[in-house]
Amino acid sequence: MKKAVSIFSSLALMTGVLAGCGPGKEATQTKNNEGEKKAATAENGMPPKPEKLVVWEDVKRGVALEPAIKAFEQKYGIKVEYKEVEMATKQRDQLRLDGPAGTGPDVITVPHDQVGQLVTEGLIREINVDQSVLDTFTESSLKAETYNGKLYGLPKAVETPVFIYNKKLMDKAPATMDELYQFSKDFTKGDKYGFLALWDNFYFAHGIIAGMGGYVFKDNNGTLDRNDIGLNNEGAVKGTEYIQKWYKELFPKGIIGENGGSTMDGLFNEGKVASVMNGPWAFQGMRDAGIDIGVAPMPTLPNGEHVKTFMGVKGWHVSAFSKNPEWATKLIEFLTNEENAKKRFELTREIPPVKSLINDPLIANDEGAKAVAIQSQYAVPMPNIPEMAEVWGPMATALQLVANQKTEPKKALDEAVKTIKTNIETNHPSK
Amino acid sequence: MFEKGDRTMETSVYRSSHRKIALGLSVVPGLGQLYNRQYVKGVLFLILAVSYYIVFADLLDIGLWGLVTLGEVIGRDHSIFLLVEGILAAIVLVFGLGFYAFNLYDAYKNGQKRDLGLKTNSLREQYHTLVDSGFPYLMVSPGFILLVFVVIFPIIFVVLLAFTNYDLYHSPPAKLVDWVGLQNFIDLVKLDLWRKTFINVLAWTIVWTFGATTLQIAIGIFLAIIVNQKDLKGKAAIRTIFILPWAVPAFVSILVFSGMFNESFGVINKTILASLGIGPIDWMTDPFWTKVALIFIQSWLGFPFIFAMTTGVLQAIPDELYEAAIVDGATAWQKFTKITLPLVLYAVAPILITQYTFNFNNFNIIYLFNGGGPAVSGQNAGATDILISWIYRLTMTSAQYSKAAAITLLLSLVVVSVALWQFRKTKSFKEEDMM
Amino acid sequence: MNMKRQKIIRLTLSYLVILAMTVIIVYPLLWVVGSSFNPGQSLSGSKMIPDHATLAHYKELFDTSKSDYLIWYANSLKISTLTMIFSVILVSLTAYSFSRYRFIGRQNGLMTFLILQMIPNFAALIAIYVLGLLTKLIDTHLGLILVYVGGAIPMNTWLMKGYLDTIPKELDESARIDGAGHLRIFFQIIMPLAKPIIAVIALFTFIAPFGDFILASVLLRSKEKYTLAVGLYDLVAKQFGNEFTTFAAGSVLIAVPIAILFLSFQKYFVSGLTAGGTKG
Repeated sequence: MKKAVSIFSSLALMTGVLAGCGPGKEATQTKNNEGEKKAATAENGMPPKPEKLVVWEDVKRGVALEPAIKAFEQKYGIKVEYKEVEMATKQRDQLRLDGPAGTGPDVITVPHDQVGQLVTEGLIREINVDQSVLDTFTESSLKAETYNGKLYGLPKAVETPVFIYNKKLMDKAPATMDELYQFSKDFTKGDKYGFLALWDNFYFAHGIIAGMGGYVFKDNNGTLDRNDIGLNNEGAVKGTEYIQKWYKELFPKGIIGENGGSTMDGLFNEGKVASVMNGPWAFQGMRDAGIDIGVAPMPTLPNGEHVKTFMGVKGWHVSAFSKNPEWATKLIEFLTNEENAKKRFELTREIPPVKSLINDPLIANDEGAKAVAIQSQYAVPMPNIPEMAEVWGPMATALQLVANQKTEPKKALDEAVKTIKTNIETNHPSK
Repeated sequence: MFEKGDRTMETSVYRSSHRKIALGLSVVPGLGQLYNRQYVKGVLFLILAVSYYIVFADLLDIGLWGLVTLGEVIGRDHSIFLLVEGILAAIVLVFGLGFYAFNLYDAYKNGQKRDLGLKTNSLREQYHTLVDSGFPYLMVSPGFILLVFVVIFPIIFVVLLAFTNYDLYHSPPAKLVDWVGLQNFIDLVKLDLWRKTFINVLAWTIVWTFGATTLQIAIGIFLAIIVNQKDLKGKAAIRTIFILPWAVPAFVSILVFSGMFNESFGVINKTILASLGIGPIDWMTDPFWTKVALIFIQSWLGFPFIFAMTTGVLQAIPDELYEAAIVDGATAWQKFTKITLPLVLYAVAPILITQYTFNFNNFNIIYLFNGGGPAVSGQNAGATDILISWIYRLTMTSAQYSKAAAITLLLSLVVVSVALWQFRKTKSFKEEDMM
Repeated sequence: MNMKRQKIIRLTLSYLVILAMTVIIVYPLLWVVGSSFNPGQSLSGSKMIPDHATLAHYKELFDTSKSDYLIWYANSLKISTLTMIFSVILVSLTAYSFSRYRFIGRQNGLMTFLILQMIPNFAALIAIYVLGLLTKLIDTHLGLILVYVGGAIPMNTWLMKGYLDTIPKELDESARIDGAGHLRIFFQIIMPLAKPIIAVIALFTFIAPFGDFILASVLLRSKEKYTLAVGLYDLVAKQFGNEFTTFAAGSVLIAVPIAILFLSFQKYFVSGLTAGGTKG
């Protein structure tokens, strides 16, 4: 025992002494000086060129990046390397670890709803881009990349769920949800389904709820008010009741829950489903499965409104750990310019939010792209504030309970909003 | 047997004070040994000490500083990395101090020998004592060192994390992380949402742990006894089949089951139950049935291990025991409860307890089967979330790292103390040889 | 007569139970095999006996231009083999000391080993990651192997120590009297007698890496370094467009060799695993 005490006390003593050490203050100062020197030697506002830049691109999208970075290399003489990293979660998770370790990239791509969180954690940095560059993008897509009034990235593609149908089973897309309902009533039998959607997932359900008058956070001229949640207002309840009706009468239980997405995909690809609500990412798989698909904007709701789907913007962002932020910014400007955006569309069918391209025959004549472009006009960008993280879970709970016919919509939504509010208060102390 | 030696000499009279001088000189490792004329050892110690200092000086400096402050300058200092380096530095320091203490002890002991007029060990003798008394240490140390870095070090990290404020809003590189003492634990008790969810999750965790584990054990033992009947044919083939679930990676099986239990399209509802004339059951959307399905799957996954062990025990029970019982007129049931079961349980008890703790922390099955669902109103965990999967949910969706660490810490304390208490109660554990 | 009737009833019931269990065990397994021959990609459309059986998924896995499956397979085999070798060596050394020597710290050490296997450690993934960074072992197989070996020590040491305790101490003592050294006793007397438990531990540590997709996905960054578990999990973890049937095919190819390995080691489980418990 005595021994333990003495070891402990000497340990404590040593830590006390050593705590006074640590990295000297001079170290940081010299670093700053170096930075200034670098800036001073720069020509026309740009610091000296780095040897190379590293980009993380989403999986299976490298094909679209290759021609662009080759052109960049030729133009500026800076080598660009890229690595494919899954976009939805891995880019963020790996940047957290690789960034501070010094092995991270200069440029990453994430869905815009993570922007607020990444900024709060200090993982991406604000970018400074000429107004002339900004003018080329659609307003809503830039808004998605803006957080607290500052721009944190440039949009490379937008996506939003649309109406996809199997041309063999459905002649043309219905104009209204009522028509779709009638069609589905007649068509759904045994293994066959007229229409399926994952409305127990708030991402998809939002279109209906918002179309009926609900909203996540009140949008006050571009700033989202986290205290004003409209997910249990009259419109939201109506929307949820509408959702419940579909589950009660037409949707199978097997598409509820975690594995619902893959189940629905599977049924559609086997030709058992006439139509689904899904995102443009699903097109390729469906075509690969040999389905002749038609794509259209979502049919209008019974109240005459459009389905206000969530819009997702995938953007290029400069890592806060990049040693060459100016050149990284230059690179993302280059990647999103009209020429490269067009090339990206040709190679990946991702729709660039570049104004001049929306009416380009290339996109206008592509059924899928056109549908997504039109639907985007009715779509709402997903909120990009970190508080949004607290919305998904409780809303999924509420929608699932409604879909399972376990709880009445009003009660489920009230419960969800209460949980969201508590969670926001607990996990996101007001600044 | 390796501790014998000096005790008898302590009463003798010292003739000089070499021991004190050697001890004093050994403040610089090796000098005391040199003074004791153990030159090779002395030089070796000196080299060790110097190289330790050269290699680790920086790590110790930055690490210990970082451990105390968790960084001072935003941007330059990454608190979490500093915390990790700090723990490593502390581990290295403990190893260093251990060596240092041994050095002092050694100098003193050999000085004492000289004081008593005894000869210090020659190099060859030193080697022999080292090999003899140090042999077990020598053999344990490679495994031990690896264990310290790979298993113990992360645990220390979690423990320390529970006393910081690491979350989304205190996240490097934007912010520094600070020590906040017991704040996380206070929050856990104080905040309604957490407390309510915590109690519900804990209740199911306990039901899950005991239900699933007991069932898998019961099935395993039961089948082993059935298969072990003397007059049963085809034992080898049956055993082979019964071990199969163990041979398939668990995550594969769980994902397959998750597909089979799908309410509208899975084989269980569509083919099996339908052919039996039973209507579809809400395997994924009704909390009760999801729990039933989970317990079933875990039994499927877990019984082969128990089955294999029990089979071994049964084969080792001497036949004479049963023969004697038959002579005494025991019924089959009596044979089972008085002979078979006690022997089996006695033999496998320690392993059984590890089975319980395994299921308590069985993240994979909960997460892979239905993601903790179905949803329940009024709490931020799903109906089948056990504590560990709930912690995962917390860290993933709300970035509450330090709170998750605090819950982990509480949880580990509970599991470890219950398990230790149980272990001490099992008979096999009390035997001299076990410990 | 009565005895005989009882026996028939007992045996019939036993066979019925065994038959029922066999169905429950084999059905899901056959179902995986069946799925892997199904044309589509989804789980919902799969049938145990597909209408149009196809080898397409297997072909896809073996087509190196389309999938890294073969690379992952090789990686997994390498990682598992090395993990097995290192674990067996370290565990044998540790278990032998704990079983045969009485040294300071022995009891605490044993207790620590017990406790360590109960603490959930995935909350510490960041710590393991940073440790990997500092030692430059991130994205290397060596780093992963070391973590697996370290993790395997506590549980397996307990298992092996239990077995070694059953080997009579008189054997070592008489050898010592004959002048055998520590190492000779260990290698020439104890180890040969401990074969069954070594076999068991070798098998356990060999298959453990096949089931882990969490640690491996944190430590391994490049696709060409993935293990089978990580790669396969990626196939099904996607919410949309997951490739269940390909996953099934991939799983069959893992499960078959492991199952064979298991079954060929079967006789050792019985003696190896339990001798420790029963004390002979």
